[in-house]
Amino acid sequence: MALQHGILAEDERTHFANCMGRIARERCRASFAELFEHFAPRLKSYLIRLGSDPLAAEEIIQEVMLNVWRKADQYDATQASVSTWIFRIARNRRIDSHRRLARPDLDPEDPLLRPPDAESPDVIVNRHQIEIVVRRELETLPEEQLTLLQAAFYDGLSHSEIAKRFELPLGTVKSRIRLAFQRLRRSLTGEH
Amino acid sequence: MLARKPSDFGEIYSAYAAGCLDPAFQLLVETQAALRPDVRQAVAQAETIAGVFLETEAATAVSDGVLDQLLSRIDGLDQTATEHARAAERAGDILDEILRLPAPLRDQALEASMDRSWTKLAPGVSRLNLGVESSTEVELYRIEPGRTLPRHSHRGNELTLVVAGGFEDGTGHFRAGDLSVKGPQDVHQPTADSDSICFALAVRDAGLEFKGVFGLVQKMLRR
Repeated sequence: MALQHGILAEDERTHFANCMGRIARERCRASFAELFEHFAPRLKSYLIRLGSDPLAAEEIIQEVMLNVWRKADQYDATQASVSTWIFRIARNRRIDSHRRLARPDLDPEDPLLRPPDAESPDVIVNRHQIEIVVRRELETLPEEQLTLLQAAFYDGLSHSEIAKRFELPLGTVKSRIRLAFQRLRRSLTGEH
Repeated sequence: MLARKPSDFGEIYSAYAAGCLDPAFQLLVETQAALRPDVRQAVAQAETIAGVFLETEAATAVSDGVLDQLLSRIDGLDQTATEHARAAERAGDILDEILRLPAPLRDQALEASMDRSWTKLAPGVSRLNLGVESSTEVELYRIEPGRTLPRHSHRGNELTLVVAGGFEDGTGHFRAGDLSVKGPQDVHQPTADSDSICFALAVRDAGLEFKGVFGLVQKMLRR
C-alpha cells in the first residue's frame, strides 16, 4: 500500500498540534524547529514535484514556514491537522499558475453532477472526525484509486490531465475517484 | 446553477485543495463554503486528503543553514512585533492618563497626540506640543516619578501649571493646580514627586506678553 510510509498516527499529529500551541503562546523556537525538521524536507519534495528548482524551493519553504510562525495563533487543533494547515499555506504559493483551472469540467450531462436533493442527504461531520476517517480510508484504498486521488487532490491535475498521464479513459478516471469517495462517504456516514 | 453543488469528488474540490483553481472560482468555493456546511465539509475532506499526501511525501534534504536563516528572520519579526506592542501599550497607557486630565486640556491633548507623537527628552521625561494656535509655545510635559526635566533655557517667561502629580524645583513644591512662574533668568529643572506621574502644562513666550493663550490658562487655574 502506497500510504504505509509517513502517514502520521494520532499521537504524532497531537504532538505537532502541541508544537503549534507552544509557538502561538510562547514563541517557542524549539517547537518551530521540530516542525521545520519534519515538514520542510517534505515541502521541498512537493515543490520540486510541482516544477520548482531546489534553491527556489528552499526560498518558498522559508516563506511558508515564516507564515506558519506568524499565523500560529490562527491554528485550531480541533479543526485541521497541522499537515493540512501547512499544506494550505504551501499550496497558495504554487508557481505554476498557468495551470490554473479556469473552467472546471462542469458538463451538465455529467451523471456525476446531480442536484443535492437527488443524492443522499449530506451528513455534516466535524473536521476532527474527517481527519480520522479520511486517513483510515486512504490507508485501505487500492493502489489504483490512491494514485488518482493523489494526482487530483495533491498534484492538482484535472481529470482529463490524469487520463492523459496514466493513459486511462476519462470515464475510468472519474469512476475510480467516485468509488474512492463512496467508501469515504460510507465511513463518514457510519461514524456520526 | 447556484442550486447545484458539485459532487464531493468533482474537479472543483480537488483543484481547490491543490491550489489549482482560478482565483475567481477559488472565491466562489470559499464563499459557498462559508454559507453551506455541506460545501464546507467537501472542502475539508479535499484538504485533508491533500494534507495526508504531504505527510507521505518523500523527504528531500534541506540545505544546512536554512533553519538558522529562518530563525534570524523570526528574531527580526519578533523585534518589530515587540516594539509595536510596546509602543501601542505605551500609547494605550498614556491615553488612559490623558483621559484623566481636566476637560479642556484633555481634548487638546487627545487631538495633539493624534497629530504628532511625544518627544522624549530624557528617560521618563517626554513632551507633547499641543499645537495651540498662539505666539507662545504650549506643551504638555509628562514626567515619571522621581525624574527630572533636563536643563533648558528659554528666552522669555514660562508659566508651568501642574495638572497631575507634583514637582519640586528648588524654589518650592508644586502640586496639581499650582502655577510656577519663571522669568528668563531662572533655572527651571523640576523633579517629579516619587509617588505619581507628573503632568504639567507649560506655556512659554519669547518675552512677549501672553494674550491668546491666557484664557486657557485661566480655565486651568479656576479648576
